[in-house]
Amino acid sequence: MERRVVITGAASITPIGHRKNEITDSLLKGVSGVARLREDNLLSRHIHSKVFGTVGYDIEYDFARKYRKTMGPVSYYACQVAKEAIAMAELDKDILASGCVGVAFGSTHGSPTVQRDIYKQFFNAAESGLSSIGAVDYLKSMVHTTAVNITKMFEITGRVISSSTACTTSSQSIGFGYEFIKYGMQDAMICGGADEYDTTAVAVFDNLLACSTDFNDTPHLTPRPFDRKRDGLVVGEGAGAVVLESYEFAKKRGADILAEIIGFSCNNNGGDLILPNVNGVTQAIRLGLQNAKIIPEEVDFVSAHATATKMGDIVEAQAIHRVYGDRPYVTGLKSYMGHTMASCGVIETIITLYMMEQGIIAPTLNLDEVDKRCAMIRHTMKLYETPIRVAAVQNFAFGGVNTSLIIRKFE
Amino acid sequence: MIREEIQSKILEIFREEVEIEKPGLDDDLREMYEFDSIDALELLGEIEKLLGTGLTQDEKKQAMDIRTINQICDYVESLEKEKL
Repeated sequence: MERRVVITGAASITPIGHRKNEITDSLLKGVSGVARLREDNLLSRHIHSKVFGTVGYDIEYDFARKYRKTMGPVSYYACQVAKEAIAMAELDKDILASGCVGVAFGSTHGSPTVQRDIYKQFFNAAESGLSSIGAVDYLKSMVHTTAVNITKMFEITGRVISSSTACTTSSQSIGFGYEFIKYGMQDAMICGGADEYDTTAVAVFDNLLACSTDFNDTPHLTPRPFDRKRDGLVVGEGAGAVVLESYEFAKKRGADILAEIIGFSCNNNGGDLILPNVNGVTQAIRLGLQNAKIIPEEVDFVSAHATATKMGDIVEAQAIHRVYGDRPYVTGLKSYMGHTMASCGVIETIITLYMMEQGIIAPTLNLDEVDKRCAMIRHTMKLYETPIRVAAVQNFAFGGVNTSLIIRKFE
Repeated sequence: MIREEIQSKILEIFREEVEIEKPGLDDDLREMYEFDSIDALELLGEIEKLLGTGLTQDEKKQAMDIRTINQICDYVESLEKEKL
């Protein structure tokens, strides 16, 4: 049995806005969400990259203590977007608790803020006599904290999977949710990912010489996917959630359908854990199309992973060209907000939904002069008013994990 | 600490940390306020701070059956006597 899978709810917290109108406004005006890296009195002074994709606005949370007590910052993000997506989909309590709804949600490594506090207590001799590190800190910081705080808050009793594959965390979450529904294991899934403000991630990429450093005094000019002057990625924070349902389930409920997911692929490069691999990425793109049972010519828009690293962008451009040639528009949405890590796949999916709905394709920000080695594909250099019928959202992660999601406008 | 001081401190912890405003001294905290094992663990951390010393595993286990504010006060009183 293969069922159609549709999207009925979507919400995100991004460096370029929270609500749909804020995010699309930023896209239309070319507003960047990248800001100066905040001082953290630990790592920031040792990091060469001084930029961060920052959620620079307040979010009004309204969570009772019985929920807050097991949540670190990453779970606040996760539960907020889940709450908004569930409200949009109008899934009621009875459905959520029925067992037919599951959760696929993850983060890169739980809550680094809480983990940092735990280590501070470990190494602080003055407090070592008090055993205040306990189950609560673990619940706040563990790698599946986002998924299970969502299940707790909404009393969800179905399947739970918490992918933690760095940059493909949330694209995998959507893909696995899609497969659960497609093959009849669940009727609906809350899918997504979140990552909080975290200088540890910046330090890791900084040490690998993968972070942007040339634009520390002009953060809005970086990252620069596919641009000749690109100098690396910009780590960011954010969260996103989508509600997926079987078409029949959504139709029976009378839910508004935002779009349809028609394909998903996930593979591994089978080798190096860091370097991008053109064969692996090409194969992931091809497998996505095969899964969707469409030909490359049917894809109008590609949301590229495009982190703005020297090598990654070239490899991705080559792979896109191998499969699609130069027909679909290609945009690197990280140019607006940096690399929001575990949430990038779902945020880029949601922004693609917004563009699909509004009939626009936003350009890659800061793409002033295309690197000749990336020039073989159709870069979106300016804002286009053009319909997107089918879009591909592709993401790649450390560890050689590649994903491709194929989304079709619901008609 | 005298009993009144302990009670005042415990009620302050409940107000500030557990967000339960004015529990009755013999109210069943689990049944009436959804006070659960996570709250209990956090309360033990607060009691450690109050006493200025860590609790042993056995001392913590003794607290797991506590249901009321009065029982918490009894527990703190007995700990204080043992520790001092």
